Amino acid sequence: MNNHDNSAGREWMSSPGSKIHAGDMVLLRLPNSDIRSIKTEKDSTVVVGKFGSFYANELIDQPYGLTYEIADKKLTIVPPRTLQEVEDTDATNELINDGEFVQPLTIDEIQVLKQSGVHASDIIKKQIEQHANYSLKTEYSKEKYKKRKEAKYSKSFTTIEPTLFNVCEYWFNKDQNRIRDLRADTLSQMLNLANIRPGGRYLVVDDASGMVVSGILERMGGEGRVLSICDTDSPPAYPVISHMNFNSSITDILVSLNWATAEEDYMPIIPPSDIPADQVKSERQKSRLNKRRAVTELLRSTREDLFSGEFNSLVIATEYDPYSVIERLAPYLGGSASIVVHNPHIQVLSDLQTKLRALPDYLCPTVTEAWLRRYQILPGRTHPMMAMSGSGGFLLHTIKVYDDPSASYVLTHRRQKTKKTKTETEEMGRVNGEASSRETNPQEQFKVDIAMS
Amino acid sequence: MWSTAREIAAGDVVIIWLTREVIQPLHITPGKDFNSKFGNYKHSDFIGIPYGSKVASRTGKGFIHILRPTPELWTLALPHRTQILYLADIAFITSWLNIKRGSRVIEAGTGSGSFSHSVARTVGSAGHLYSYEFHEARAKKASEEFKRHGMDDIVTLTHRNVCKEGFTIVDEADAVFLDLPAPWEAVDYAKTALRKDRTTRICCFSPCMEQVLRTVSALNEAGFTEITMYETLLRPHEVSLVPTLQPIAEVSEKLKKAEAKREEKRLQQIAANKTRSASMKRKREGGTEEDEDEAESKRVKTDDEDAGSKEESSSHLMTRESVEMLVDEEATPMASRAPSLAPPGKMSVSKALPEVRGHTSYLTFACLVPSSTFSAPPPIAAAEAAAPNVEASSSDKIDA
Ligand SMILES: C[S@@+](CC[C@H](N)C(=O)[O-])C[C@H]1O[C@@H](n2cnc3c(N)ncnc32)[C@H](O)[C@@H]1O
Repeated sequence: MNNHDNSAGREWMSSPGSKIHAGDMVLLRLPNSDIRSIKTEKDSTVVVGKFGSFYANELIDQPYGLTYEIADKKLTIVPPRTLQEVEDTDATNELINDGEFVQPLTIDEIQVLKQSGVHASDIIKKQIEQHANYSLKTEYSKEKYKKRKEAKYSKSFTTIEPTLFNVCEYWFNKDQNRIRDLRADTLSQMLNLANIRPGGRYLVVDDASGMVVSGILERMGGEGRVLSICDTDSPPAYPVISHMNFNSSITDILVSLNWATAEEDYMPIIPPSDIPADQVKSERQKSRLNKRRAVTELLRSTREDLFSGEFNSLVIATEYDPYSVIERLAPYLGGSASIVVHNPHIQVLSDLQTKLRALPDYLCPTVTEAWLRRYQILPGRTHPMMAMSGSGGFLLHTIKVYDDPSASYVLTHRRQKTKKTKTETEEMGRVNGEASSRETNPQEQFKVDIAMS
Repeated sequence: MWSTAREIAAGDVVIIWLTREVIQPLHITPGKDFNSKFGNYKHSDFIGIPYGSKVASRTGKGFIHILRPTPELWTLALPHRTQILYLADIAFITSWLNIKRGSRVIEAGTGSGSFSHSVARTVGSAGHLYSYEFHEARAKKASEEFKRHGMDDIVTLTHRNVCKEGFTIVDEADAVFLDLPAPWEAVDYAKTALRKDRTTRICCFSPCMEQVLRTVSALNEAGFTEITMYETLLRPHEVSLVPTLQPIAEVSEKLKKAEAKREEKRLQQIAANKTRSASMKRKREGGTEEDEDEAESKRVKTDDEDAGSKEESSSHLMTRESVEMLVDEEATPMASRAPSLAPPGKMSVSKALPEVRGHTSYLTFACLVPSSTFSAPPPIAAAEAAAPNVEASSSDKIDA
């Protein structure tokens, strides 16, 4: 976890996370749209591949979102690019054959130009001048050509603010398996469905590298309690959290247990820390004992916190059987609490839905999938992106309720002849209501989804 | 914002869940009744019971669930005064605009307040929502609602036309959300309201592409960058428990048996005809019937050995109804608590609902980066302006 110890110096309240600090993980967008992750260690030199290098101090204390050009390891702020109108001319691609698309400058010539310190835009200009067919091309393809060239030579980059959206998108594109295909839109739906707000108390099971925990922490802004249950013996090091550059006040509300210590009947094995004072010899031993005492105390209070229950929501992105997770943790939820489960596979959630809808404690478990399409926005050329993410995973959402076994469906009495029949009809309705018994049970109808209507 | 107590109290706003399609708010007022298709209740019956309770009606016929309001439930329960935003768009906009605890957000217009409730929840009392609505009655209704829901410390509602008068704050907002017919008319005002010491963000919500294009030009001219556009939808999936699929080997066995049976019948028919013509005295239908009964019982026996049910053998191609019937039949054993596995011979399948929402609106986003750090941006980088060809020189520019 990337905690900033001297949080006093950070005015995160007035501009949360908007400035780059020493030690931050910073995402850079290069002209060819590649994203790089760098660390701004004070007095270090940042190397961005063959692209160049610069002094990290140049970025420290800068606001996020600016565009820079590298020269002599120094950075110059350049204006952000605005969309430019491209007016079509009479030229078309009609007279241009691909084979004739000649490259007037040789690699060596470009190398010489580069070494002589010629600015990237001058190289591009030169290439365009020598491009035999250039004037024949349409404005559109000219622009495409220029953009391609520019991406190759320009030494500029833009810093990307570590918003939840940007960090999620970065991880999704870089390694979507590690965040269990959790796309930014799906994650945002989870956070809303789980009603995450400052001051709430949440249970979370995150086997998605900390993507979900990051989202919850960011939304809560240091107010409330997040209890994560993990499968490791010590608190998990969620890799995604480091990209969020959280202040320690944000992460301090996170505590964790594992699947053993989260069991009420289990007595965690703890080495003794209450050794009589006269037996404590060295200072080192003393500090070790103090640490041990703190760990023991944290474990005790976290367990107490969990077992005291009444949590506001349970958010799950697990590689384990989600039903077993719900079975274990739902008792610690308050009435009307949300349960949100993400999984990359719909089969897992279909099975889960079948199990949950047979139980009276879960109101209307619903499976949904988010769909997201991005558009290219260019003057005269606005259209959906050619490539699109196939799936950001699936969600199951339900609300924990307290059953009243004496309650009966309003229309079942028509058919009931004996007490026995009534209960059967009732249970039948509960099990199948959503899929197949529309007529008998209007109270369990499945038509429009809760989340979509 | 809304009660966080475990139990319901007089004066609380609760959500009554009747069915997944009938979800409505209720302001708990002792002395009042709540009557519905699903039974009759007294508000006072609800006081003191925990949120999330299933409550049986006074007659025992029908029940309701009483839930704690959340912005997501509110979106499903609220009185519609305008078109509203739903979960998928709200969540995505919140995320892209980086709205979180402490954010200061502008929205126009307020409409039915669906988006407002979600934002107020997310920013909390450390943040603020400035909401604008030019329709007086709507503004009044929304402002009453915000008060009743205990959000009036988080939301400031102003009755005004933002396309004419702009917003009430300067250099303060972290994010702006415009759900107006002509958002481009408010873009310059939005820029004034946004803070300039950090990157801020804007979203314009428009159903038509023509609106998007006008918005994009306005944003571009005002100096917004990183302009991008998304569409997002939510596809609900329907899950059903169905018998595992039959292998075709079973089907071919059945076909063969049916064929054999037909042949047997044919031969019997011939035999019967012969008998009939041979002896007119024995012209009685009973003989044939007896033979058929025999054949029938034989068939059932073999089917049982195949572990197939009688229904299945009676219709080789299972219709959708028969699938559902089978699900119904097997329902009762499923209802036992904590089922650990799908019952043998059953599987859970899911498919997207046949009819889903196809379009809500286009979400146009853009950023405004801190400007104090550099002088007013020239329209294009100087070096790039000089293109070699006359006709290209004025227009050959590089897009972001
Ligand atoms: C579609 S509704 C907004 C719905 C809202 N986003 C929600 O989720 O409930 C649009 C609202 O904007 C208001 N409106 C339209 N133009 C306006 C303007 N120029 N200034 C202020 N409000 C305006 C309309 O009266 C209407 O109530």
